[in-house]
Order: sequence, then C-alpha cells, then structure tokens
Amino acid sequence: MTFWKLFIRNRGAVVGLGILALITLMAASASLFYPEDPFSLAGQPMSPPGENGFLLGSDSLGRDVAAGIAHGAKTSLLIGLMATIVAVVVGIVMGALAGYYGGAIDNLLMRLTEMFQTIPSFVFAILLVAIMKPSIESIVIAIAVVSWPAVARLVRGEFLSLRNREFVQACHTLGMSDIRIMLGEILPNCLSPIIVIGSLMVATAILIESGLAFLGLGDPNIMSWGFQIGAGRTLLRSAWWVCTFPGIAILLTVLAINLVGEGMNDALNPRLRERT
Amino acid sequence: MSHFARRMRYVVKRLLQAIPIVIAIVVLNFFLLQLAEGDAVDVLAGEAGSATPEYMAELRAKFGLDQPLPVQLAIYLKNVVVFDLGYSFRHEMPVSELILDRVVPTLLLMVSTIMLAVGFGIVLGLIAAISLNTWRDTAISIFALITYATPLFWVGLMLIVVFSLNLGWFPTSGMENFAMFYEGWDRVWDIAHHLVLPTITLSLFYLALYTRLMRASMLEQAGQDYVTTARAKGVTENRIMFVHVLRNALLPVVTMAGVQVGALIGGSVIVESVFAWPGLGMLAFEALFARDLNLLLGIFLLSALLVVAVNLVVDLIYSSLDPRIEVS
Amino acid sequence: MSFRSWATAALCALGLIFGAVAASAQKAGGTLVYIVQPEPPSLASFLSTSGPIGLVAPKIYEGLLDYDNELNIVPALAESYDVSEDGKTITFNLRQGVTWHDGEPFTSADVQFTVMEILSKVHPRGPNSFREVTSIDTPDEHTAVFNLANPAPYMLRALSAYESPMVPKHLLEGQDPRNSDLANNPVGTGPFKFVEWQKGQYIRLDKNEDYWREGLPYLDRVVGRFIPDASTRTAAMENEEVMYGAFGAIPNIDAVRLRDTDGFNVTTDGYAMINPMALIEFNTTKPPFDNPALRQAVSIALDREFLIDNIWFGYGKPATSALSSNFSATGLYAEGMPNYAPNSNVEAAIAVLDEAGLTPNADGVRASFSLDLIPYGEDWRRAGEYMKQALAEIGVAVDLRYEDVPTWLKRIYADYDFDMNVNYFYQLPDPVLGVHRHYGTDQIRQGTHFVNSSRYSNPELDALLSAGAQEADAAKRSEIYAQIQEILANDKPVANLFEMEFLTVYNEKLKDHATSALGSYGSFAEAWIDD
Repeated sequence: MTFWKLFIRNRGAVVGLGILALITLMAASASLFYPEDPFSLAGQPMSPPGENGFLLGSDSLGRDVAAGIAHGAKTSLLIGLMATIVAVVVGIVMGALAGYYGGAIDNLLMRLTEMFQTIPSFVFAILLVAIMKPSIESIVIAIAVVSWPAVARLVRGEFLSLRNREFVQACHTLGMSDIRIMLGEILPNCLSPIIVIGSLMVATAILIESGLAFLGLGDPNIMSWGFQIGAGRTLLRSAWWVCTFPGIAILLTVLAINLVGEGMNDALNPRLRERT
Repeated sequence: MSHFARRMRYVVKRLLQAIPIVIAIVVLNFFLLQLAEGDAVDVLAGEAGSATPEYMAELRAKFGLDQPLPVQLAIYLKNVVVFDLGYSFRHEMPVSELILDRVVPTLLLMVSTIMLAVGFGIVLGLIAAISLNTWRDTAISIFALITYATPLFWVGLMLIVVFSLNLGWFPTSGMENFAMFYEGWDRVWDIAHHLVLPTITLSLFYLALYTRLMRASMLEQAGQDYVTTARAKGVTENRIMFVHVLRNALLPVVTMAGVQVGALIGGSVIVESVFAWPGLGMLAFEALFARDLNLLLGIFLLSALLVVAVNLVVDLIYSSLDPRIEVS
Repeated sequence: MSFRSWATAALCALGLIFGAVAASAQKAGGTLVYIVQPEPPSLASFLSTSGPIGLVAPKIYEGLLDYDNELNIVPALAESYDVSEDGKTITFNLRQGVTWHDGEPFTSADVQFTVMEILSKVHPRGPNSFREVTSIDTPDEHTAVFNLANPAPYMLRALSAYESPMVPKHLLEGQDPRNSDLANNPVGTGPFKFVEWQKGQYIRLDKNEDYWREGLPYLDRVVGRFIPDASTRTAAMENEEVMYGAFGAIPNIDAVRLRDTDGFNVTTDGYAMINPMALIEFNTTKPPFDNPALRQAVSIALDREFLIDNIWFGYGKPATSALSSNFSATGLYAEGMPNYAPNSNVEAAIAVLDEAGLTPNADGVRASFSLDLIPYGEDWRRAGEYMKQALAEIGVAVDLRYEDVPTWLKRIYADYDFDMNVNYFYQLPDPVLGVHRHYGTDQIRQGTHFVNSSRYSNPELDALLSAGAQEADAAKRSEIYAQIQEILANDKPVANLFEMEFLTVYNEKLKDHATSALGSYGSFAEAWIDD
C-alpha cells in the first residue's frame, strides 16, 4: 500500500492536514483580507469580539486581533519551520555520524552536543536573543541552537542500536557505502521517532517564540502570535479575547502539526502495517 | 574482567573525560557572555539613578572588570579549580551561597514535575498504545496535545485564577506564607501547598512529550520480531506487553527524561516567574539582565556538571535496559 | 531671606499627631506583606536611589526631615531647624534619646559624617543636593550646623529618609562605604529593624521596640515580597496575600478593576516628591533630529491623551511644558508653552515639516529613524507601537527597538547611538534637582546615566539655569524659569509627553499608610491593619 493511502486512512491526520492547509492559506492571503498594517490603530480599543467591526475584537490600542492573527500566522509558521529544519538537519548529521561510527567520532560529537546541552535551553535561548538583539532572525537562530542536541542524541541512540542489526551487517557484506547505509538503510528505520520529535519541535518553536515574547524579547516590528499573546497577557482578566484567540491559533496549529506527524509516523512505520 | 569492574572503569573514564569538557564549557560560556552589551556596572549605576564615570570606573576596578579578558578568565578558572565561584556583582554575596539558596526550591519543583510528567506520561502512553485507534487513544492524544500547546503562562495564570482566587484552595505564588513564617512540619505542609500549582503547570507541558514518546515506542516494540517469537512460544499477551515490550519501550523515555533534567532548570523561567518560585531559572534570568556574569557563569557551571552527570547515568541505564549497547 | 523658626509649630503638629493617635482606634499588631518589585540590588540607600531600595530602606533609616501630603516640612530626626538671615547657615536641633537599632545613641556626629563623608561623596544625587555645604559644626551632641557657600533653598527638600538617609557613623567610619556590610544588613533609627533577606523571596523587618515615637509603629512586622509577574501580583493582592503595592506594581488595567472592587482601593498620593515625567529624548547632534522642526513636529503629532487613556488607563496629565504643572505650587511652572497640546494635530505637524523643507520622498517618507524604548515594562512598548503608527500619519517611518537594560543604557548614555528615545525622569521637588540635568551643557557627561543625552547645548539657557539655581527671590526665580521653559518649548531637545501618575493599590484593611509625601518611600510607622 502506498504511503498516501495509509496516511488518509488516519482520520486525525487528515483533519490535521486540513487545519494546517487552512492556516497556511490564511497566512498566504493575509494581505488580501487585511491589507492594512496589522499594527494600525483600526478603531475603538478593547472592543469585544463582533463589536465595532472587529471579528475577534481589538486590543488596548484598538488593533484588530483578527488581522494580527492572519498576519502573525506567516511569522509564527516561518519561525517554527525554519528553526525546526535547521535543528533537525544538524541533529541528524551529528547523531548519525556519532552513532554510526562510534568510537572517537562519537565521543567528540557527543561531547560537543553535551556542551550545547549544558546551558538550560530556555535560558540559553534568552541569552542568545539578548546578545543578538531581539529580531526574527535572532529568534530563529536561538531556537535552532537550543533544539538540535535533542535530535542528535535521539538519532545517535537509534543508530547505535540499529547499526549492529542483521540487515545492516548484510549491507556491509554487500559492499554498500557508509553514506548509503546511513541514509538509505538506517535512517528510514528511525524516522518515526524523528518525525515525532520534529513535529513537536515545530510546535515547541512556536511556543518558545511566545515565551520569549512573554518575557519581552519579541521582535517589536513584526506581528506574530507570540507578540499578540505577550501584548495581551496583562489584559487576560479584562479583555480575554486579546490573548485567547492567538492562543487558540497556536493551539490549533500545534495540534494540526502533531496530528499530521502522527499520521506520517503510522504510515511510515513499516511494522505497524501488519497490525492495522 | 568482571562486569562490575568494567562498569567502574567506564565510569572513571567518563569522569576523567568530563574534566576538559567542563573547562571548555566554562571558557566558552565566558566568551559567550562577553558578547552581551554593557556590564554589571552599567546596570547598577543606571538603577542608582546617576553615577559619575569615576565611580563607575571604581566599581569596575572593584569587580575586576577593568582587567583584560584573558586575565579575567585566568582568574576565574583559577578560582573555579578550588571550587570558588567568585562574588556576585549585584548581590554582594558569594555566588555559591546564592546558588545554594536556590538549589532546594529548584530541585523540589524539578523532581516533582519530572515524577508527575513521566509517571502520568508512561501510564497514558501505555493506555493509548494498548487501545490503539480507539476513542481512548484519540482522547489521550488530544488531551496531551492541548496541555502541551497551551502557553505555559496562560495555564499558570488560569490555574491561579481558578484554584486560588475562585476556589481558594491554593496560594497564588511564592514558596511559603510570608505572614506566618511557619516552622517544623507546618512549614513542610505549607511549602507542599505552595508547590502544587507550579508543579501541575510545568508537568502539563512535559506530559505530552512523554505520553507520545511512550505510545510511539510501545508500538515500535510491539512490531519487533521478538514479540512474534514470544507469541509463537505461547507467552500471554499481558506478559508480552508488560514485561517484554514495556521494558524496551522505556528506553527512549529514559533518554528523554535525561535530556530534560538539564532543560528543566532553564525551562522553568516562565513558571518561576508566574508563581514567584525562587528557583535557579529566575536567578539566571535576572543575572543575565543585570550582567551579573559571575553569577550566571556559576549557574551555567552547575548546570553543566548536572548534565554531564545525568548523561553518564542515562548511558548506564541505557546499557542495562538494552544489553546490545555496549559500554566502552 | 527671612528668619524662620517653627519649633513651636512643629511641637503643635506633633501634638496633633499624637492627639489623633489617642482619639481613633488604631489597632496594634499584625504583619503587613507588601510588594517590592523588582528585588533591590542591596539596601544601601546611601549609595543608590534605586526605586526598590526606596520601598524598603526608609522603613529602617530616617532622614532629618519628612514632608506631609501638602509638602509641608515636618520634623523627623531633627526636631526643628533655623535658617540664618543670609541663608548660609542652617542649624538643626536633633531629637534626644534616639538610638540606632544596635543600641548606640544617634548624635550630631552621625549627621556630620553622613552628609560630609557619605551623601556628598557616594550618593548619586547627594553631591548635587549638598553642593553648597562647606562644613558641618557639631557644638553639642544634639546640634548640627550646616555652613553653606551660597544659599541652597532646595536642600531642605532633600532631607527625607529616602533622599538623604542618616547612617550610623560607628558602623561605617574607616570603611569603604561601597563595600560595607551595612548594604545587606542595614542598621538605622527607623520604626522597623532589619531581620532577614531571603534572596528571590522576601525581606523581613520587625518592629523596633525602642522607636522614639511613643506607641509606634503599630505593626509587628513588615515583609516586602518579590513577585516578578505583574498578573500574579494582582492575583496575590486579590487573594490578600499582599496588602499594598506601589509604583505601578499592579498594572493600571488591574488597578482600575480593583478600584471598583470591594475591599480594595487605589491612590495617586505619595508621588509628589518624585514628580515623574514621561518624555522623548532626541539626539540633537545627528540627522534627522539635529533639525528642531522635526522635533517640534513629533511633539505636535503625538496624541498625549491617547497614551494616557489607552495605555495608562486614565492616569496621567498631558505635559504642557518642560516643567511639570506640579511646580505651579512654587510658581515655577509657566503656562501656554508652544508645541504642547493634549491632542495630536497632524496638519500642523505636516506644515512644520513642509516649512522646514522635510518633504516626502518617492515612498511618501519625510524622515526615517529608530525609536528606542525604555525597557521598564510592557506599557512603554505599547507607547512605542502607538507612536510608530501616529508618526506614520505625518510621513515619518519609525523602526522600533526594545533592548535589555544594560544594552539600552549603553546605547543612549555611553554610545549616543540613538535617534529618539522614550524615557521617564523624576523631576523631583525642585527643578535644580531633577530638571537641570537634562538640559545643561555641563550635564553632557558621556557614560553617566539619565543626564543630557540629547547633547543639547545652549549658552543662553546655561546662564539662565545657573541663575535659577541660586535665585532666592520667588518672583525673580519664576521669571527665570518662564524664560527657560519658553526656550525649551521651541528648541525641544526633549519633548515631554505626560506627567505620570503612579498608582498605589492597597487592601482597605490597611489604614494610614500614606501619611507622608514620600508615600511608599515613607516608613509605615503609622500604618495599621483593621481586621
């Protein structure tokens, strides 16, 4: 059975994919529906949802929450994806080399990984953003830097346990190159935990951005969900909508990404096929 | 050589290897922190309202910040070797004293959070895996995801609003009641009472990770050849699940828990901030923005030692769970 | 200058206070937990005027004088004082029988040591406040005579516990005051004694049983708690875990909500001595703000009432001059200054720009620059976001910058690497203390914080500033300050935005907590809890 057929059998995954497609569409068409700058003071401050022409209400300066969510989708998705791609690629390279070759290479790479892990990750992210000055780029870099060691350790663990398996030994006997064995044989067999951790990482990146914004380290010139939550948190008790709707946007996105990740995991995991 | 002796030799070797790594970490951190603009004197003078450049120069001399960087580093390293972490510029107290004050609250929060998150995560993941693709599986997945995807400070504030303000069950913040200053068992009870909300908040965040990892890992193991073999031998399903599969499925969970112990010190900045919990996360956060570099370096050093130790322990557990991974 | 002696008046006032004590039903006992935010770096109020130190130290240390809510001088460690005819000698008669918390007696030697060796040397504002003091004579243990080079009428406004705390000579003499144990273990004469400081949690002070004011303090204990998150501070207030939070510890939006909730109240009293002003500093030495027209246009284009209403929730007054309208009591404030309006006037601002030749380029942009925001909380970010939008209306493109405190301080006051900076300053009870530092050429001091970062230099203004500092005649002085304000309103090296009103939120069970002009920088000696 093909991957796609297996994937669409998972109802949750399909729903997730649908939500994700909608959010991507929203991000792409934000300027169409809300041509104004999302920071513009569009009307009566603190309007509840549905009043004064604000679908999801307005914040303390009279900015449209819905416009912010539409425009912020682009930023938040970008931060999540970019940071994760960088982190996963670096993590796989480091983990695979360490796990496959073992010995001195393993030792060197793992010590390097450890060095990055020794600083508590959120504090490290804060530190990096503070050093580089708050901006979208510094936030992406900071999230990627603190995220890759987890991938590296996981991949290494998988490689360590897979490299002595019979099928790998067989590949050696057949004279396959190391790179081919790593990428073509071992990597596909440990994709499922990587997908699980990777999908969670996109979500984590979006959450880290909102955490940084909570602590006042967001990019002040770019609209993102994190910015909206950071700006709305003191209004939580007086104007719940300002921070709740972007929060729901984050929640839905994270949920969707994870459902898709899970669906891919189930579809990719060759051993599950026999069971279902 | 006996199994035990081989183990011991491995541990000693790893510890010896750790020394240059820790030194390298200190050096790296030292230079990393130098990249930040401004110094502790700027902050102190800025807070004081106004200070003359002469006064600021005097302060820099007092803190040793007027020395060239390599000299500062050399002095720091020399002190670290004899376990002297130096003086906090801001608090005018030895760094070690400041850190020690925060270690107990941090450990309280960390350990209770890990226990709650890993414990519930394993149970939920197990249930989800056993009842694969049923409503129970879906409900657990969605629950875990929602708790994970909700911003921590939002969860924290909502718990405060509901359980402190509306129901009056728990205090809003802090580690103790500062009007009463309880002693003895009353104090233990008081601290436990204050610990509940921050622990729940933080463990909700980590719960998803362990639940999902446990579920994925269980399914992965359930498809392995040894399960088929065991089944063929007539071992009961329960025994297969709870003895063979479970044991192997714990492997990635343990790895992740290990990775997380280090992260938990830093990961709790937000929870410590929301609940005014006197942990190391907030201390590091405040030290960074006060450019109290000695204090920050001290915290990073402690965290480095912790991570090195945890990684070693994880590797040891790893090898005893999965004998195919050799320790050498 | 007229000879003044009001020892009798002071005695009457004291009699009134103690009379009131006997008459109403103050209850003794109880613990007051209040918010101290952020955690102070130390408790050395003789070294630093840092806000959180001010929230704690004046409970422990006292000043020679205090000030009531009408800003009248009331006695504290000095029972009375005399100013000589020529204004160059001030004699303080010190209270007898006052002891330090360690049991040593408080004497004139402590006063002499504190002012000459500590405040004049290591206090951030002391060298300015006491700059005319040449020596202090101590004819006996309870008399301190200040000898001045020139009259310094503003000095008598700077003798509160917060501004000029009296410190024990016997514990500081022969030591480096910047390195003393007193910073973390203060010993004063005040109503509360220092007991314990748990870093990251609280500072605990207990009642001084030997306090010189009979029957005071009422409270057994005062605990200052540190709660980093603003929303949690509100929750702790609502849950009655804390009873008092000043200096905006409770965000305005929550304060407004609590004001309308039973059991809580809000006051703006207690900030008259610090007189805070929100403002914009322009970098007048480099384009685009070397052009005064752009500075005026920015001031005209911003809607001060919008800021007050939507970000500070109604607390504050639009600025109308370089001096706060709080100075109208002393006659120094001048009305009707140009380029200050409560609401924005986009047309007028554009007209100013057109006239100055700042016309739009192909993209419709007349000028572009970055706007730095003081990193002291979310409100300032909102203000910056508003300004960016408001300035876009007059064709000015703004890039916002929000960095951490050390980065920001270095950028503005050491590197001068900024265009326009949002900030706030304390104007204090006299312009000499709080306003001059902004404008004088002698206040262009690279590396010193909160001085003339605009690097504005105008010899005419410099002459007026030094005349204003020494003029003893009230009418002449107000004439000088009117000229100063006229020049500053047109040149605008700094555009004042609004006179800030800090809020104190308190539980109504807490009584008599605002008996001095110092407010939360006061002592809590008369505060009591009505359970």
